[in-house]
Amino acid sequence: AGAFKERPAKPTAFRKFYERGDFPIALEHDTKGNKIAWKVEIEKLDYHHYLPLFFDGLCETTHPYEFFARQGVHDMLEHGGSKILPVIPQLIIPIKNALNTRNRQVVCTTLKVLQHLVVSGEMVGEALVPYYRQILPILNIFKNMNLNSGDGIDYSQQKRENIGDLIQETLEAFERHGGEDAFINIKYMVPTYESCMLN
Amino acid sequence: MQPKSMTRAKKWDEVVENAYRFQLAGYRDEEEYRSVKQVDSAEKWDNGFVKKLQRKDGCFYYYNKARECSDKDVPKTKLYNY
Repeated sequence: AGAFKERPAKPTAFRKFYERGDFPIALEHDTKGNKIAWKVEIEKLDYHHYLPLFFDGLCETTHPYEFFARQGVHDMLEHGGSKILPVIPQLIIPIKNALNTRNRQVVCTTLKVLQHLVVSGEMVGEALVPYYRQILPILNIFKNMNLNSGDGIDYSQQKRENIGDLIQETLEAFERHGGEDAFINIKYMVPTYESCMLN
Repeated sequence: MQPKSMTRAKKWDEVVENAYRFQLAGYRDEEEYRSVKQVDSAEKWDNGFVKKLQRKDGCFYYYNKARECSDKDVPKTKLYNY
């Protein structure tokens, strides 16, 4: 019925802001070592404004939007600490939109971002539990998406782009960092998930 | 202070990692960063890796806690002697 079919992403607010030059980042043609040059210190950024915008850009698949959104999210999560937790409710819709595109590249990037998000600050993993209903349905659809290549080589495993494996890792990260209610809530949305902590 | 000699890194270690981070931001090493920025030292992670640097044009580079200097970057990294 088309559950796996890609759905075209709508134009993102991230792209509009980027093209208008609203982000405090220096645009360079030689992105050395895949780095963003920030014009202001990340610690001084308004996370309520910028973090949801960068998350919105996760739907992008074209350069340079895709790179700046992915790397921007990474930098802000790595250096945000306690500023991330209060913004969680604003991140749910962009996360859901990105997963709903069902685009393999976008889903892979978003899963890696989710794994980073749960370890980015204290209580962030717990704060995500009430939103599992919105995030996990797509993970449930793609959970068994592993290539049966017989004795051939599946290169996506080396590149860490295998959706089935990434979903398993992500659910385990959710369970580890989501507190005591995490497992039962994951199980409710993804019935084939087995605990990585019990037993 | 000007360096007397320079060698290229042959294999990865913590010193090479930090040299790579300074050179990515446009500095020779921490010595130059300190003198240009007039600071005591660069901001570092608890494992000693450089965390954040301000480039000469005023922009900031943020680095991960984990290793960033890949094997192919090692021979490009320069180590200065004073």
